Amino acid sequence: MWKRVLKMFIGLYLTVLALSLFLFYTQKVKLIESIKERQILATTMKKAAFEDECHSFLRNTHYWASLKFPKNFDPLTEHSSYLKSYLELIEDITFYDQFRFIDLEGKEFFRTERVANDSIVISALQNKNYHPYVKAGLQLKRDQIYLSQISLNKENGEIEKPHKPVIRTVAPIFDNEENQIGLVVINFKMKKILDQIKSKVEEKNVYLLDEDLRVISSSTKTEDLPYETANKNSSLDNILNTRAITHNRDSSFVANDHIWSQQSINLNGATFTFGSISNLPSEIVTASNWLIALEIPPKVVKAELQPLFESLLTFNIISIFGLLTLCYIFQKKKIEKEQFYTELENKNILLTRSKNLLEENNSMMNEMNNSLGIRNKQLSDFNYLISHNLRSPVTSMSVIVEMIQKEKNPDILNQLLPKLGLVANSITNLTKDINEYVAILDNKEIKIVDINLAQLIEEVKSEFTETLLNNSDFEVLLDLKAWDHISYSKFYLQSILQNFISNAIKYKRDDVASYIQFETALENKKKVLYVRDNGIGLNLDKHGENIFKLYKRFHRNISGKGMGLFLIKSQLEALNATITIESKVGQGTTFKIKF
Amino acid sequence: MNTKPNILLIDDDELYLYLMQKTINQLSNELVVSTFTDGEQAVEYISQCTDEQIELPEVIFLDINMPFLDGWGFLNEFKKLKPKIMNSINIYMVSSSMRDSDIKRASHFEELTGYVVKPVNKVQLTEIFKKIYHENW
Repeated sequence: MWKRVLKMFIGLYLTVLALSLFLFYTQKVKLIESIKERQILATTMKKAAFEDECHSFLRNTHYWASLKFPKNFDPLTEHSSYLKSYLELIEDITFYDQFRFIDLEGKEFFRTERVANDSIVISALQNKNYHPYVKAGLQLKRDQIYLSQISLNKENGEIEKPHKPVIRTVAPIFDNEENQIGLVVINFKMKKILDQIKSKVEEKNVYLLDEDLRVISSSTKTEDLPYETANKNSSLDNILNTRAITHNRDSSFVANDHIWSQQSINLNGATFTFGSISNLPSEIVTASNWLIALEIPPKVVKAELQPLFESLLTFNIISIFGLLTLCYIFQKKKIEKEQFYTELENKNILLTRSKNLLEENNSMMNEMNNSLGIRNKQLSDFNYLISHNLRSPVTSMSVIVEMIQKEKNPDILNQLLPKLGLVANSITNLTKDINEYVAILDNKEIKIVDINLAQLIEEVKSEFTETLLNNSDFEVLLDLKAWDHISYSKFYLQSILQNFISNAIKYKRDDVASYIQFETALENKKKVLYVRDNGIGLNLDKHGENIFKLYKRFHRNISGKGMGLFLIKSQLEALNATITIESKVGQGTTFKIKF
Repeated sequence: MNTKPNILLIDDDELYLYLMQKTINQLSNELVVSTFTDGEQAVEYISQCTDEQIELPEVIFLDINMPFLDGWGFLNEFKKLKPKIMNSINIYMVSSSMRDSDIKRASHFEELTGYVVKPVNKVQLTEIFKKIYHENW
């Protein structure tokens, strides 16, 4: 039972499982797509924010570059009053960390530093000609603005503590006669901006990378620009597949269950239009390009997929229970049905058996009926035999006796008396014959044995001298292919065979080679014996009904008592066999015996 | 009067034949009796008579059980010969059988005048002869 339930269940459940897995997979792909889309949006926003900040820096710087400074500009002494109003401006723009003018030789000729959020100081000048941004600045043409790498601020060769990430902008400045007098260099404080950039969006990790894929700022790190202070290899913590991250392509991809989205910030060589004051576009020169990458870690991806997993699990658990119940009920019904059918079949078999039994009984009854019928006929024949054959002599005798009593003439008396002797004789003969017949009818102790037919015929044959002679004109032929053994009374069968052979010899034709043939056959599974001769035959139209009757004779000139066929029939019927005859005068006779 | 028989007795019981002849003789000396011991011989005699246009006996007493041709067989053969027979013949079935089936069977033969059960006594014979020979008897 459970085996069948399990078999059916597995068959059904595997289909459901495959279907649910397929649905789950497509839902997962959809979900990841939507996650990706959201991530791309977040990345775009981060990039825009960063670019906005950069543009703001560049706009500031452009402002200074577009000023027309006095000839021989000396901000500290001669032109300090000119600068005074600008100083307030520098002080108010709080994300200016340092503001400097550097002459064409790379030396500072004006320098302010922010000491507090709302105050700056003019500080000592330094020679910066060895710095890369100064070198790059000196290469700038008019209408070009330089944007430096983001780096930790260093003072006198030492990284300033606490770490102060800065970005520098450099632009050439000119006097009112359009001669370049130097460069304006502004250090912008990046701390706040980087903090904003790296702030997580919906559990996504944010990375700001430079061109060399070094981490500038990351939500996974408290310190910005870790590569400047720590091990350079820690830049990506082996999280990011650097081969997948490319600087030139905005893309979104899944790697090791991480969902990545990246967009490059490529400002180098771009032109930039600053409002309506001057419509001349400036070209931006940058030391580096950047890359914004958002990462959704596996944990978060998993959390996003969790409801999907849960619904898959719930669906499958419900399916398992539902299908198990279904299979159980189905199989139970099926088994009940099968049991019903088996019972039905068993009943059928029983019915068939009892039917066969009934049929057997029926055929037994029929046989008994037949034999009873035969017995009845025999008794009736016997009755007739007694009443007729015995009555005749007895009535004759009574007539003679009556005559003798009345007769006085001694001559006639002498004639009558011997007639009584005749009557006595005929009664004696009749009694003998009847005795023989009664013995057959009263067949209580017939011994049934297995008889070899060929052997018995041979035995009987030897009793007739006609068949023993070598040059005999009478032959006994055998054709016992169908059967040659039979269970029967040996005494009866012997008597039957004797009568057949005796008759065949008695009634043979003198003008032909005579024979009697015994042929066995099977008809309807019953043993049949044909006895044929080529004797003088009988006119059945004339004698048909009397053929097997007692004392019937059909040939005047051949001696006989008229008992042979009567005995054959009686002895056959005593053991439920039947006999029929076919004959043609002058051709022969065939008897058919059905055992 | 030639030797034309008045009565045919057909029976295989020779004792019966002897006794019948004797009884008939006691009743009348004028009646001539012929006997046959089986039907076949009787049929042969009758067909010979018809062929030679000899008058047939008026009465036949016919036994049922006989060898070669029994009473029924004789009646069948007699049926065939009847068209050739000129005078009327009274056939009496005489049998020791009192079986209903035999009596019933006999009633189907219109050739039969009567059915007599053995033994046939003088009284019966007298009645039969009265019927046949009327006032002459």
